[in-house]
Amino acid sequence: MLECTNVDAGYGKVMILHDLNLTVRQGQLSAILGSNGSGKSTALKTLAGLVTPVKGQITLDGKRIDGLPANAMTEHGMCLVPQGKEVLAGMSVEENILIGAFHRRKDKSGIAEDLDRVYSQFPRLKVRRKAAAGVLSGGERQMLSLGRALMSRPKLLLLDEPSAALAPKVVGEISDILRGLRETGLTMLLVEQNVSMAVELAEEIHILREGRIAHSRLNGPDFDTSDLKAYYLGSGA
Amino acid sequence: MVSDLVLLPQFLTNGLVIGSGYVLVAVGLTLIFGILHIVNFAHGEFYMLGGFAAVLGSQLLGLPALPTLLVVAVVMAAFGLVVERVVFRPLGGKDPTNAIIASFGLSVLLQNLMLKTVGAEPMAVKSGFAPGAIQIGNVFITAERIAIVAAMAVIVAALLLVLRYTWTGRALRSLSENPTVALISGVNVRRVSLITFVIGSVLAGLSGALMSTVFMVQPNSGALIVMKAFIIVVVAGMGSIEGAIIVGLALGLIESLVAGYMGNELRDIVGFLIVILVLAVRPQGLFGLKTERS
Repeated sequence: MLECTNVDAGYGKVMILHDLNLTVRQGQLSAILGSNGSGKSTALKTLAGLVTPVKGQITLDGKRIDGLPANAMTEHGMCLVPQGKEVLAGMSVEENILIGAFHRRKDKSGIAEDLDRVYSQFPRLKVRRKAAAGVLSGGERQMLSLGRALMSRPKLLLLDEPSAALAPKVVGEISDILRGLRETGLTMLLVEQNVSMAVELAEEIHILREGRIAHSRLNGPDFDTSDLKAYYLGSGA
Repeated sequence: MVSDLVLLPQFLTNGLVIGSGYVLVAVGLTLIFGILHIVNFAHGEFYMLGGFAAVLGSQLLGLPALPTLLVVAVVMAAFGLVVERVVFRPLGGKDPTNAIIASFGLSVLLQNLMLKTVGAEPMAVKSGFAPGAIQIGNVFITAERIAIVAAMAVIVAALLLVLRYTWTGRALRSLSENPTVALISGVNVRRVSLITFVIGSVLAGLSGALMSTVFMVQPNSGALIVMKAFIIVVVAGMGSIEGAIIVGLALGLIESLVAGYMGNELRDIVGFLIVILVLAVRPQGLFGLKTERS
């Protein structure tokens, strides 16, 4: 579904990603793991159109999309749930959810259906739908961020550390939600520092080190996390 | 110095009229400076051009009041579109100082262009309303002044409705809150920025047109009003449209009271004193409160 080939990207003259090669298959939840500064968030931002690659190509369903702005990426079906639970603090919870459907704003009935679906997935958001998003808790903000992204009807959801800075109970709730989305067949690419969460959810794991995919393997019952440590610490092959 | 309270309603009425003009020009600047973060020192010249566009409609084309305002809106929309595309968009994403200096250059260019074209003589916009003041109790007011307040109320109400209930309004507010979230939500930030700039230009132009029915227009008409507009935007809090409405009206009223009771020479000082005081006590502005959880 998503093919990322020999992509170099960064900020100004500082390159963070070097020859990044990555494939995400339809209906799969893939995870990118890596230590701080390995380029995980930059990889997602590049895929989401927030960082423009200087080399290489990105295709979604065979269509070349590298270099498009982030709003066009969302229109093509690739939507980012950014790190930091970013919401539109002064706008209501419902307005935050609805803005995710901006590119298909003429589809009134579809938007109403999707809004109901988001509310059934996140009942707490329905209760607080008129509240300003800025007063929500961290977990609620993360749910709002997810709900907003789902309103765009994504083919591929890009999740940047959805468990960061959340209480363990809330991380469990977020995991359950992602598992539920995986069951619906939604393709997801998850960037995480929380290895146990990623290993529990993902079908394929990629290890990113110094802006390159150092290791990729399918997850399974015999998956051993101990060798991940080697890649984290830099001694893996 | 006048200390007679009998004149208070007249001062308040005058303040309401001036404040209404301030509201339109300051709400326009809120969109351009508070939301798009373009420090546009040429905003006063947008106001001035609105006045001359109204002269074009009322004097040269002989149009009545409402069609004249329509002409002003169309001219200023086209002007705003060109300025955003030609002057400010190419500077987007670069050092903000570039845009500030460009706006100064634009301000000087527009003033001198109008001086060259129409000269320095003040020109009046003919409203077509019956001459003479209407007396309501102790208050005397002309039809033009009533029209300024009424037009401001209608335009601002329409803008607030658009911002709250339309997709364009939601997109504009999302851009104001967090451009990255707006972008990843599918909002075409470039297009919405252009629309925002155009609306801001039209509001400044309409303010200039309306105020020129009372105070006349000349090439340097916008020089002081742009400073007042910046005062209002900063005192209200960056990006707060409701705040700009309240502070704009309040500044008009305060200036009128100060001019009436303390002397006309103090009128233009009071706003600057207020902005210094507010920045010292509440740097985010009076209505710049973010509903962030601590």
